[in-house]
Amino acid sequence: MPHVPIIMPQLGESIAEATVIQILVKIGDTVEADQNIMEVETNKATTTVTSPCKGIVSRILAKIEESYPVGAELGHLEVSSAQAAALGISNGFPDSTLSNSSQETDLALNRQTHQVTQVEPTVRGLPVPANALGATYMSPRMKARMHELGLHAADLAGIAGSGAGGRVTTQDFEKFLANLEKHKLTKASTMRVAVADAMRRSCTRPLATVAIPVILEPLLTHRKTLDPKPGPALYALRALALALAENSAPAGRLIGNYIVHPPAIDIGFAVEAEDGVLVPVLRNADSKPLSELTGRYNNLVELARARRLPAEATGGSIATVTNFGTFGLTWATPIPLPEQTLVLGMGAGRKVPNWDESTQQFVPVTEANLTLSFDHRVLDGGAAGRLLARVASLMVDPEKL
Amino acid sequence: MSITYLEAIREAQARALAEDSRVFIYGQDVGAFGGAFKATKNLAQQFPGRVLDAPISEDAIVGAAIGAAIEGMRPIIEMQFADFSTPGFNQIINHAATLYWRTEVPCPITIRLPSGGTSGSGPFHSQSLEALYAHYPGLIVMTPATVEDAYSMLLEAVALDDPVIFCEHKYLYYHLKAESLPDEAMPVGKARISRPGRDLTIVAYSAMVHEALAVAEEMASEGIELEIVDLRSVKPLDTDTIMASVARTGRLLCVGEAFPWGGVTAEVIARVASEGFNLLDAPPQRLNAKDTPIPFHPNLWASHRPTARSIAAAARNVLRL
Repeated sequence: MPHVPIIMPQLGESIAEATVIQILVKIGDTVEADQNIMEVETNKATTTVTSPCKGIVSRILAKIEESYPVGAELGHLEVSSAQAAALGISNGFPDSTLSNSSQETDLALNRQTHQVTQVEPTVRGLPVPANALGATYMSPRMKARMHELGLHAADLAGIAGSGAGGRVTTQDFEKFLANLEKHKLTKASTMRVAVADAMRRSCTRPLATVAIPVILEPLLTHRKTLDPKPGPALYALRALALALAENSAPAGRLIGNYIVHPPAIDIGFAVEAEDGVLVPVLRNADSKPLSELTGRYNNLVELARARRLPAEATGGSIATVTNFGTFGLTWATPIPLPEQTLVLGMGAGRKVPNWDESTQQFVPVTEANLTLSFDHRVLDGGAAGRLLARVASLMVDPEKL
Repeated sequence: MSITYLEAIREAQARALAEDSRVFIYGQDVGAFGGAFKATKNLAQQFPGRVLDAPISEDAIVGAAIGAAIEGMRPIIEMQFADFSTPGFNQIINHAATLYWRTEVPCPITIRLPSGGTSGSGPFHSQSLEALYAHYPGLIVMTPATVEDAYSMLLEAVALDDPVIFCEHKYLYYHLKAESLPDEAMPVGKARISRPGRDLTIVAYSAMVHEALAVAEEMASEGIELEIVDLRSVKPLDTDTIMASVARTGRLLCVGEAFPWGGVTAEVIARVASEGFNLLDAPPQRLNAKDTPIPFHPNLWASHRPTARSIAAAARNVLRL
């Protein structure tokens, strides 16, 4: 009779191992398919390991209070050949191999060694963790060399390391550099490098994005009444300013154990300029009505494109608005500036059918997606969603802006 | 002509005796018997009254030599085995090492320590005490690895006004030969690149230099280039040469035949880690004798001390890191 392994299953995306807290069967027990065999505990929940098929428990390798990685063998079932074949195990293990290798199997399950020996994919289709340690460690020499060349860890992402644990050695690095010289190289602009630096620093934080559709008709009608006409992004900016004036906490930054609240509702907006993005700032955007902001806004856009922004119009903003809709995009997940928690994105408007309750029919409306990317350390989806919903509700009531 | 490491030491002493009337040799059985290892063979006959047998008291031997040095002589002392210098330890570290610093009277004595292991010599006739003496300010500690260095460094030791601990390796006495004695020498305190290489720096001294060179030769056939640095003297320690070598290779293995605890290898690694951290592409490693007394049995002894085989394994390990 063939034997099949009882394997520590993948218990969740981020779960690499679990601790056995109770063994519910004993050797010789007949078990049905999916019957609970063991209770295991992860850092998130307690759950059970079940039998892969009907069989007789022939071996229990797991020990109470011991932790085993996903894919580890916890025990064996003696099953019929048909069942083994159904599980994708050709014949399972014959009895003799089991008894001969029992010593090694027990050793292999030892906590110190199992990571190396135990994650062989014994059952087809069962996920096993990748063993790669990752090329994250950089030696002092590597760090010094990269500092000398003005390079960052992100620049090494494409190098396969030959050192211990796959780390990139200086030899790997120098080979990589020598190889680069065979390619066409153009100098990245100062602006490009500055944006790269900001993005790299920003991405050290856990970022998330939420979105909500907003109907643009009220806004489009309203803007015709103004001269000069404000663009949709300015509506979004003003709405964000008012929403943050009501509660500025979501724009706070988490520094250590403190939330640092924004001192004033200064909102930036992204302007594409040359080979990068500039972010001019509208100061105290909550205190001036839309009609008064438009002139200043248009002026700043021009100055930014000419790369002549005055110092007082850059820096110190608490959130940014970016209108990716100008590129025809309907959806994006912009990255907030490193010193900001929030970036509000606006997609392209498009005609979509909208159910009208009063007339009981679909009517065409112009709709755009509004996105809010945020530092998940400061805000959760709920708080970000409430802020975004508040911004959207202000935008459909443009008279108040 | 071919000359051994031991003969070079004898020749250096003969030359020192011939060239400087202030030089004399003092030690147990150095006279008529010619020394425990024959390092003073025939010198008593050649230089009557200047190669003197001493009582079996290392304490008295060093004390007498210090007195003679104060009176303007330049004594060479032979300890039969480095291990037996410890009864004279107080005279060496408290008196000889501090004399100039206390009184401005120099103490130009040379203390020859037949050092290191040979098969079957056991715990009392195999030890390497360079780390012990290097610990004390005021002493110079030489550890020659070649016939030429044994000759020229012993002459320098006699010429220096500071007390010198001259660690000569017993295993090299008969095994190591050179064609001729050198006419010139590297300065005191300067390390030598015994073999240049690209991939890994091995810092060694005394007999371990030859083990390391054998490893370098073996690994060269695999395309791995080891750079071997021979410290020559462990005090002064030539940090510059070590650092420059690590700057080229990025990796360091330090090999010493002495015990690991607080040893020369530890000192080398401490200096590289603190002053040359940014040169390192892998954690610096060291290889020493085991941290137990030295065993008698030849098989145990062979596994107790670093050998070409264990150095090769350690080198491969550093290269993998």
